[in-house]
Amino acid sequence: MKTWNKLKHNPDLFKQYFVRERVIKKVRSFFDQQGFHEVETPILIEHPPAESYLEVFETTVLDRQRNPSKVYLSTSPEVALKKLLVAGIGNCYSITKSFRNMETQSNLHNPEFTILEWYRVGVDYKDIMRDCENLFLHIAEGNSTLQFQGKTIDISPPWERITIKDAFLRWADVDFEAFLEENNARDIAKRKGYTVSGDNSWEELYNQIFLNEIEPRLGYPKPTIVYEFPGSMGALARKKPDDPRYAERFEFYIAGLELGDCYRELTDPVEQEDRFKKELEAIRWQGKTVYEYDHDFIDALREGLPECSGIAVGLDRVIMLFANVSRIQDTLFFPWGEI
Amino acid sequence: MATITTSDFKKGLFILFKDEPHQIIDFQHVNPGKGSAFVRTRLKSVKTGKVQEFTYKSGESVEELFIETREMQYLYNEGDSYLFMDNQTYEQYTVPESLFGDFVRFLKFNETYQIMIYQDQPVGVRLPKKVRLLVTEAHDAARGDTVGGAMKLVKVETGTEVSVPLFIKEGDVIAIDPETGTYVERSNE
Repeated sequence: MKTWNKLKHNPDLFKQYFVRERVIKKVRSFFDQQGFHEVETPILIEHPPAESYLEVFETTVLDRQRNPSKVYLSTSPEVALKKLLVAGIGNCYSITKSFRNMETQSNLHNPEFTILEWYRVGVDYKDIMRDCENLFLHIAEGNSTLQFQGKTIDISPPWERITIKDAFLRWADVDFEAFLEENNARDIAKRKGYTVSGDNSWEELYNQIFLNEIEPRLGYPKPTIVYEFPGSMGALARKKPDDPRYAERFEFYIAGLELGDCYRELTDPVEQEDRFKKELEAIRWQGKTVYEYDHDFIDALREGLPECSGIAVGLDRVIMLFANVSRIQDTLFFPWGEI
Repeated sequence: MATITTSDFKKGLFILFKDEPHQIIDFQHVNPGKGSAFVRTRLKSVKTGKVQEFTYKSGESVEELFIETREMQYLYNEGDSYLFMDNQTYEQYTVPESLFGDFVRFLKFNETYQIMIYQDQPVGVRLPKKVRLLVTEAHDAARGDTVGGAMKLVKVETGTEVSVPLFIKEGDVIAIDPETGTYVERSNE
């Protein structure tokens, strides 16, 4: 039975879906009260930011003579917002649809999803951690606890904060400094009993340990902020000045759900272009859809992106949390598979 | 045994995980951000019934196991060994007590059970949804003891004791949830 039909038979079910409008209104009021500009960003674009872990949707634009050119559905509003930051818009946010291909068959993904991004100018990424704490308290209308899938989550600030390095030590018993060396990483993963083959990348070994041994522990009984990610894992994040092996990036988790990903934004156009090229190489190597990276974005960075930090939050997952449902599909009137 | 990759995963498939047979009861694709995709599985141990999660790299190889479920009649036991006979081939198998877990106390002679066989060895037992057992010994509840939810212990035909509501009498048949060993309902016919 399709969702609309279920709703017709059981109107009580509407309550679960109306959580979405309540959460989105709360998000807007949170940023509007602080004088942020809400920005509409384009969904149909010529140049996605090069990120090799994503697959894009490709389509075709025809001019009046039916001459085709390739375009793509936006994977995030990030680059558009940053161009506006260069232009001087100041603090801003966007709530928009984004599209990522090869993300069906999951209770936590929908190929079309709603993303919230916000940027603060002149702040450290640790200030964004405080934004997250305050935003959730605002959505919860001051309630400091949240019921999710039989668990009680205490969302009152401060949330638990732990570096990736400490998380690996605490939950996986791994010396992360040693693990940063690819050969050591292979040995450590093998010793733990994982299958390691020659073509496994360092990131795969890292992620497999993270997903098996660390992620399930995160975000309960309080939300967890994990920060200082390996430098190789943040295409648009700035490296930590005193230790460039790490990137100034954090993610936050509530009840095992990954909800947001924050960077101290990389402002160096040379490094940014270099990373785009590397990402595109990886995209080619993986056989994914190849596109030209956004040269206009590099030009904008040359003009000077103000020091800023920003975050992308999967709004559908936030809605899951407040609706207390275990599947993203249960927050959408028209989930993938019904349309 | 056959080598398969994560793209062949299906619910219900048996695979070798940490050298033990497990059944895939659920799986999800996950995309953690950087690097390639992963497949998060929920695996049920054939031997112990314990469920755990494991996340495979997308494309990782695993060994698929061809495990059959056969209907077998329970004949008798000798110590920790339980003798069963295949209903079709009449072949006899010795099933170690450990495969039954707590269910062992509800095994009835001459009843048919579903035994999982791998490489001609019993590796697990598929528990029935409900077990019906005759109450062979029950004392009347003390007079006045009528508080809702009060329970008493009775003896059933397999010799074990079960906690039941006070109205159950000797000669009644009761249904038991084999996973938890607890009373479900009175099931007289």
